[in-house]
Amino acid sequence: MQAPYRIGVDIGGTFTDLVLLDTRDGRLFNGKVLTTPHAPEQAVLDGVRGLLAQHGVAPEDVRHVIHGTTLVANALIERRGVKTGFLTTQGFRDVQEIGTELRHDTYDLFMRRPDPLVPRRLRLEIPERLLPDGGIRTPLDEAAARAAIRALREDGVSAIAVCLLHAFANPAHERRIAELAAEEAPDIALCLSSDLVPEIGEYERGSTTIANAYVLPVFARYLARLEAGLREAGIAGPLFLMLSDGGTVAGAVAARHPIRLVQSGPAGGVQAARVIGAAAGAPDVLCFDMGGTTAKAALIDGGQPQRSLDFEVSRVDRFRKGSGLPLKVPVVEMIEIGAGGGSIARVDALGLVRVGPDSASSDPGPACYGLGGTEPTVTDCDLLLGYLAPGSFLGGAMTLDVAAAETAVHEKLAKPLGLSPVEAAFAVHETVNTAMAQAAAIHALEKARRIEGYTLVPIGGAGPVHAVEVARKLGIARMVVPAGAGVASAFGFLAAPISFSLLRGQVAALATLDLDALRAMLDGMEAEGRALVAQAGVEAAEIRIRAALRYAGQGYQVEADIAELDRTTIRAAFEAEYRRLYGRVESNLPVECVGWRVTVSGPTPNLDLGAVPGGSGNARKGTRQAWFGGRFVEAAVFDRAALAPGEAISGPALIEERESTLVLPPGTTARYDAARNLVVEIG
Amino acid sequence: MTIPALRLGTAWARICGLMDEAAETFVRTSFSSVVRDNWDMAVGLMDSAGRQVAQSSRSVPSFVGTMPRTLAAMLERIPAARLSPGDVLISNDGYLGTGHLNDITMIRPLFRSGRIAAWIGSTFHCTDIGGAPSVEARDSWEEGLTIPVARILRAGEENEDVVAFLEANLRMPEEALGDIRAQFAMYDQAAPRLFRILEEEGIPDLDALAADIFGRSERAMRAAIAAVPDGEVTDEVTADGFDHPVTIRLRLAIQGDSITLDFSGTDPQIARPVNSPLNFSRAYSNYAVKCAFDPATPNNDGSFRPITLIAPEGCIVNPRRPAPVWGRHLTGHYLPMLVLAALGRLIPDRVIAESGSPLWNVYFTGEHADGRRYTRMFFMNGGHGAAASHDGPSCLSFPSNVATQPVEQFENAVPMLITQKSLIPGSGGDGARRGGLGQRLSFEVVGGKPVTATYRHERVQHPPRGLLGGGAGRGGRDLVNGKPVPAKARIVLQPGDVIAFETPGGGGFGDPRERSAEDRARDAAEGYV
Repeated sequence: MQAPYRIGVDIGGTFTDLVLLDTRDGRLFNGKVLTTPHAPEQAVLDGVRGLLAQHGVAPEDVRHVIHGTTLVANALIERRGVKTGFLTTQGFRDVQEIGTELRHDTYDLFMRRPDPLVPRRLRLEIPERLLPDGGIRTPLDEAAARAAIRALREDGVSAIAVCLLHAFANPAHERRIAELAAEEAPDIALCLSSDLVPEIGEYERGSTTIANAYVLPVFARYLARLEAGLREAGIAGPLFLMLSDGGTVAGAVAARHPIRLVQSGPAGGVQAARVIGAAAGAPDVLCFDMGGTTAKAALIDGGQPQRSLDFEVSRVDRFRKGSGLPLKVPVVEMIEIGAGGGSIARVDALGLVRVGPDSASSDPGPACYGLGGTEPTVTDCDLLLGYLAPGSFLGGAMTLDVAAAETAVHEKLAKPLGLSPVEAAFAVHETVNTAMAQAAAIHALEKARRIEGYTLVPIGGAGPVHAVEVARKLGIARMVVPAGAGVASAFGFLAAPISFSLLRGQVAALATLDLDALRAMLDGMEAEGRALVAQAGVEAAEIRIRAALRYAGQGYQVEADIAELDRTTIRAAFEAEYRRLYGRVESNLPVECVGWRVTVSGPTPNLDLGAVPGGSGNARKGTRQAWFGGRFVEAAVFDRAALAPGEAISGPALIEERESTLVLPPGTTARYDAARNLVVEIG
Repeated sequence: MTIPALRLGTAWARICGLMDEAAETFVRTSFSSVVRDNWDMAVGLMDSAGRQVAQSSRSVPSFVGTMPRTLAAMLERIPAARLSPGDVLISNDGYLGTGHLNDITMIRPLFRSGRIAAWIGSTFHCTDIGGAPSVEARDSWEEGLTIPVARILRAGEENEDVVAFLEANLRMPEEALGDIRAQFAMYDQAAPRLFRILEEEGIPDLDALAADIFGRSERAMRAAIAAVPDGEVTDEVTADGFDHPVTIRLRLAIQGDSITLDFSGTDPQIARPVNSPLNFSRAYSNYAVKCAFDPATPNNDGSFRPITLIAPEGCIVNPRRPAPVWGRHLTGHYLPMLVLAALGRLIPDRVIAESGSPLWNVYFTGEHADGRRYTRMFFMNGGHGAAASHDGPSCLSFPSNVATQPVEQFENAVPMLITQKSLIPGSGGDGARRGGLGQRLSFEVVGGKPVTATYRHERVQHPPRGLLGGGAGRGGRDLVNGKPVPAKARIVLQPGDVIAFETPGGGGFGDPRERSAEDRARDAAEGYV
């Protein structure tokens, strides 16, 4: 019999969250320890040992540990990677500094771009040139390549990224450079663009390759320490890593592609939202993740999170596309839609309320934390509105200072606006909700989705506080609120199958597409994916083929699942999707295929969460004044842990758990379902 | 009525969001690269009186505030009383619109309770508009088809006569009509949502919201201007021009809470396609003022009320018909740099030195090996002007905002290779803060057939100026097989020929003696000088 326990671990900026699942009865145990930034594995190991001891679980009963981390993203943001060199085609070393030449903010005269990860003097050029079809125009100058590698070695680099023009069409020169590097500098980590991102676009491909090389040694060392630590702790089961696209891979695979972990934590949150939505019979989900500093949104369609190949790190301007370093990696598509609980509110020059993007973070934190913060934050406003209770924040572990919140709101907002503090607080609450709804609506539109039909799943500490109003503004009628929103990512890790996606860009008219060659290419991708999945000890259970398609002449594509490789099926799949998005099709126009994605997945873990009994049903704790419809009304307060299955609650009500509070305005009802979720109908 | 600040903020944000959503829908369904890759388009919302309330946020500055003027001109031809629900007005008249025929503006009245409650419109760049636009054009008739003010939709039905004119005159009518129809669908989506937003926010009509938005935006701009002491400065910039240089002169005056930009004394219009019609000149002048004083407020008419623009008719920034205007950016792009240079003497911390623009580009036309014809445009930017606080970024688009394209994409599309894309060391103007570097791009003809290169470049004779003691950036250069060639030309390249473009560097800011030793050491180590 398989070992019964599974562990999910998410390293976040402040806390490392752990979830222990007993697969025999579906019981879940949560843990939270402070993150140890200088040796992140320490918190993981302490947390795992603590959780096992607390619940009397023997280490050998752990089947595996699934892990996600912000380590890669933070190394890039904080520039804590290794000294890295870059080799490219003669004449093109500045591509990485010139970028797209576009302003991410048309009106900001002082806009700046992020500094390249590799400075100009460590970007060296090698005489060689490939043609667009992969043909060789100028053979690789091997002596020059060796000299460049030696020069970088002498300069003290620990990693080298290689990106040659058109290498995605013919990797021969890059591979030869790898062989030369193995001779000249065997101890230096080497990454090839043709391995990592076989796609057209020298700037983005090079940028991704550099970022991978930059973090690889750091990440590989961390992983080795963590694996050794887990073995020492007696856990014989393997360590798996969550990728940014929600797939999971063996540690060895992750160590070669650390850049694929750039968004692994949030991807776990989306996986959690997927499972929670599915349990409530909602395949189309808007995951709304609102934490302390940011709010993020992700779309899940038919049980599949939206994925993308475009990601950015190190943004100079958080909310501006194009202000960061581009990464071509498969990610669960998530966008930052606004402020978090700690974001600061102010009155701007127009006399209007603005919130964020700066945050009071945890030090000094919102004014109500009583740690010296004097700027009003979203959390302060939620407190004044009665949505949060001073005595039950973090399960009562921290008492909130209402007077401090009121002073901050009064001085910085109410006075300049000519409003009472509570009115000003509501203005902030509304402003934040509007901004988030707006951003989510635009995101849905970018993805050509009609948001009204989605079910909203709020996670993160502030998610359930704001969720109903955000849903209303989006025209969303239904919401599913999970238990333990604060550890949703770690839980999500347990929900994901072992999986790896491979991508190939290839533009071709559908009418003249060489189907045999295509089939051969897809078979090759599938074989590669199967091999990677097999490294995690599982058999491939699902192969999914998706094509990116558009009308000839268009520049944006629509992704569709392709069941059969024939032209009629492909066109029909495209047009069904296009009509869904834009309400019409252009039946007389030719269609183009732009790219292919093959995802190889192992079996999806069965997370049977239905068996655990609910609470006593004696959940009502009392009442509290909360601001709804322009006045204070008496709202019933409930303890979520004590709710009984089937129990229904009508707003105005506040349903509290340790990490969050669900705010139910009048006209909404929540029902506690068999899967321990609160299903909210928004009137 | 007075709208509470909270409600206004929410409604305003939603209206702006609606414009961005509409723009996004258009871009995603567009058939032209210039719309989807360069966002050479804008969507606007006007109140019942035709004043601009909101505009999509991501668009090139060429369209800042032009739509209300285009609408007013349209209504002079077809009065509002003659419009019905479902009608859409169209015109590309450069003198009514945004300065050249390639920009088509369409505007649809939105009726509510039997009267026009608002107008939604959009302007987009249409790559081919017929005719023979070239650096040789001597009048605007040569530059293509003028669509007079007309109804392209009548009560929701396409006006087949107008469509027939387009089909007969354009080289790529599918692309243009594809984009036009995409905009009809965009209006259809946006109109009901506008009214839903107003209803949900409890605002009776758009005019009530508009009045408040205009008032607040105007007050914000006036407050920012009033914070600067009164003063008057004059400045001038000289463009390379064609047969002779062209000087643009500016008197900039701040009086209380208003600002005057007076271009009197600017050289007259010329019979070459670089004249900048008033709407285009105004858009780029207003853009500069907005950048310096109030960059954050979403675009609307209110922000521009404190700005008075004077430009005598017949000068190159306010030409008379039929002056040719195809390359109006070759004049218009100088205006924000001139405005900022003048402002620099009053508010040095809020401006930048001149950048390596007007925008550089080149059109390559020729035949593939199999006989298919191609036209490919390539944009390349120069160095950005330095600011008091930091060096200018290298190769960053300003004042227009146009991206380059990947080398690998380009080489897959045409039988040419780009053999170099490099920063030009030393091209940034020296100064306490250095100007951004320009770049060198070399294109080699590798197919067996000749290629025609058409381009018109500025800042070759008159490089970007530095500010407050900063040095000028290096001027641009155009070279064929290593030898300099004219900056405005149509050149036939033979197989094996290499044409290279060197974009200008940005101007420096402040006295070079104040540049820190650390910055100089870094410039040397990285090879920036």
